[in-house]
Amino acid sequence: MNNAKYPLTTINLFMVIVFTFLLLPGISLADKEIKITDPASVVVIVNRDSNDIAFMDIKTNKIIGRVFLGKNVNPHMAMMSKDGRWVVTGGTRSSKAYIIDVATLTLVKEIPVGFAPEHLAFSPDGRYYYQGNPDDDSVSVIDMVSMTEIKRIPGFAEPLNITFTADGSKAYVGNYGAHWVGVIDVTRHELLKKIHVGEVPQIASLDPERYLGEIKGISNVSISNDGRYLYAADGDLGIVSVIDSREDKVIKQIRVGVDPWRAYMSHDGNYAVVANNGDATISIIDLKKNEVAATLESGPDMMGINFAAGKAFVISSTSGFLYVYDMTSLTSAGRIKIGKNLQIETATTDTAGEKIYLASSTDHSVYVIDGKTEAVTRVANVGLYPWGTHILDSKDNYCH
Amino acid sequence: MLYLPTKIPGRNRYGRRFNAPTSRTLLASSLLLSISVSAQADDNREQLLKRIDGLEQRVMELETTTVLSDPETRVKQIEVFVDAEGTEHDTQVPGSKRRITYQRERVYRRQTINEKISEAMEDAANRNVQLGVDAAIIIQNAQQTRGNDKTADGNFYQLASTDLYFTAGLAQYTMFFADIVGLSGTPPDNEIDGLTLANGYAARLVQQNDLSLREAWLMTELWDQKVSLVIGRVDLTNYFDANAAANDETSQFLSDALVNNPALGLSENGAGMAVVYDPKKSFNFRMGYQQSTSTASNLSDSLFFLAEAGYQLNPFRMGEGNYRVWYREDNTGNAASAFGISIDQKLTAGITLFARYGSAENVTSSNRDKYYSTGLQFASGLGFNPEDTFGIGYAYANPATVEKEKLLEGYYNLAMTEKLRLTFNLTYLQERRVNSSTDAYVIPGMRLQASF
Repeated sequence: MNNAKYPLTTINLFMVIVFTFLLLPGISLADKEIKITDPASVVVIVNRDSNDIAFMDIKTNKIIGRVFLGKNVNPHMAMMSKDGRWVVTGGTRSSKAYIIDVATLTLVKEIPVGFAPEHLAFSPDGRYYYQGNPDDDSVSVIDMVSMTEIKRIPGFAEPLNITFTADGSKAYVGNYGAHWVGVIDVTRHELLKKIHVGEVPQIASLDPERYLGEIKGISNVSISNDGRYLYAADGDLGIVSVIDSREDKVIKQIRVGVDPWRAYMSHDGNYAVVANNGDATISIIDLKKNEVAATLESGPDMMGINFAAGKAFVISSTSGFLYVYDMTSLTSAGRIKIGKNLQIETATTDTAGEKIYLASSTDHSVYVIDGKTEAVTRVANVGLYPWGTHILDSKDNYCH
Repeated sequence: MLYLPTKIPGRNRYGRRFNAPTSRTLLASSLLLSISVSAQADDNREQLLKRIDGLEQRVMELETTTVLSDPETRVKQIEVFVDAEGTEHDTQVPGSKRRITYQRERVYRRQTINEKISEAMEDAANRNVQLGVDAAIIIQNAQQTRGNDKTADGNFYQLASTDLYFTAGLAQYTMFFADIVGLSGTPPDNEIDGLTLANGYAARLVQQNDLSLREAWLMTELWDQKVSLVIGRVDLTNYFDANAAANDETSQFLSDALVNNPALGLSENGAGMAVVYDPKKSFNFRMGYQQSTSTASNLSDSLFFLAEAGYQLNPFRMGEGNYRVWYREDNTGNAASAFGISIDQKLTAGITLFARYGSAENVTSSNRDKYYSTGLQFASGLGFNPEDTFGIGYAYANPATVEKEKLLEGYYNLAMTEKLRLTFNLTYLQERRVNSSTDAYVIPGMRLQASF
């Protein structure tokens, strides 16, 4: 064969094409190297400023790997699908949803969603991932089979957290910019109902500044262990409304402290603990009686509450303390100093209910707290500005 | 069959189909392909250039209409190791010493203008002296129902009070606080002359129309903030004999007997110190001293020492309860001592039971002065408006002398706005005098209070 018949550049191009075909499968295989075999063995860490999701081994507290999402993505919350196959997160500054393959730690899909996505939830069967877009007043429905946004449900008012019922038929959305809970029909992905949680006091007309200046509505709807009742704390109204999920009606309003953030359900299902940021207290609600069983002093800027070893650990973000409460006697049980000049964020608890994994944003660390001994171990350099953590099947997976 | 993924700008991404080539067709195909690729490349280049132009335009627009381009930085406290040569290391090396220093770190964050403004405002507020105002106007009327001395009967009284609070952070866990108060007006106590004050605000009235420094102290927190140390001109009743339901004349009962335990004996604020040990568990302990005279020539004069132990319980899980026991000694020359208890226990989420008892030595008698009070406070939405509170309280003063005082007060505190409250109160006061006569009064009152 006379190679001179063919121009050199054409042969080179041809060879490149052939080699590319031969090498592609190899590259693809290398990319798909299995890095995590047991999704329950890792803590998922959301790093806002390094724009990545880090995966930390629970046994060794070592970072196994991290998935970079892109510049200025600013991920807010991450959640693992029930089968442990995917981790999803919303990029607040990129207005996209991201799907990560857990086994290979690869970013498999970027999906444009509404403006500034933050909180999210999976449907119990794992088919849908609902992404709340608070600045867009919408919820994006992502089909995990086609990995596309199949619908964007409008009509909310700063939708924050989303809670599915156990049977997956309905999802409840906390509207921080309003005093109602949105009920989504998951079959049709439509806003079915707005549940009015409480009345603004009549005397509010004398105080327009308070109610018109800034609204502090409902950040989350917490569901009881049996799935029957939902608890929606409303910041401006200072109440927790109890909603019967069968009729989607408020059956009781429980007055709590000033500016309640949300209710956190104890693992045994007996109590809900409400963080009242307006007066730096917590209200412990007896879920059998739907009454406040104790109101106890806590710290400023409470961002979350975790349960471990029969205690409640309240995260006081700006003070750097975890306030501890004995959930048997319902009394204060001290506080744990995480560090000085820190801003601690949110945490998850392991499935055994023994250890808490607390994200500390300003020192780029995760602190592991033993619920029983209250010993604290620092895991440094997990990424820049860790904002939250997540463990598959944990009972304390939440975000700000 | 092979699928070659190719991406053509402006079009959807599809795989392009190829048949597996034979050796003869391979060369022909490659030739055709090269021609096709060459033509396509020119086309692609043109389209790419157009897209780059478009993107550059968009970047320019973005940069001119936003202020997000500044790189964010944050100053961080870091730990370094400095060796004998003065070289700084990130990790410990032989002969190096651990040092704390500060360094700027880059924050890879894109913030919105709202976030930037909020941060700047918060930062500025934290650096400034914070000012608070608490102003109140109290109008009362005395209707005498029993007794011979008719001095107060039918008279109206009005007292206006303004507190200016200043707070400033001075160092980590250290703050300065000052309370300057101005009072003007006439409380009923000048004419009723009871064992305790019918208007608790009158306790602050040192001189009419003058501003006076009520408190000025420095507070610092030590040992993982378990211990608070307060030193300066203090009011020890803020730290001792506290009560959740009956401790504040500005929002709860107006009568002084239902604000402080008379057995405490503190008449004036003065130089002093308080140490509070509070590990945020059920138990807390505090002790302190305070001078309680404005005419003292040295710190040893009229000095009161107090100690208190507090415990928090949640009996039968009906709600939290605070139980306090205190002890007082003073060096006023009479070697007087006193002790007391102060309890507040929630019966339900909205109802709080309170009780106080105090017993003080009386140097003129072998008997002791004894003070009792009890009552209920209602809150948590039991009133007309969710933030309203109301209460009823009874106090009995039984000093070692023949004088006695019985007081019953009810109040309703209406939360009009976040900054404005209106309280209606009704007091029944019965005073047994030294000459064994007994006077009784009904004192309706109203308190308008603004806090901001």
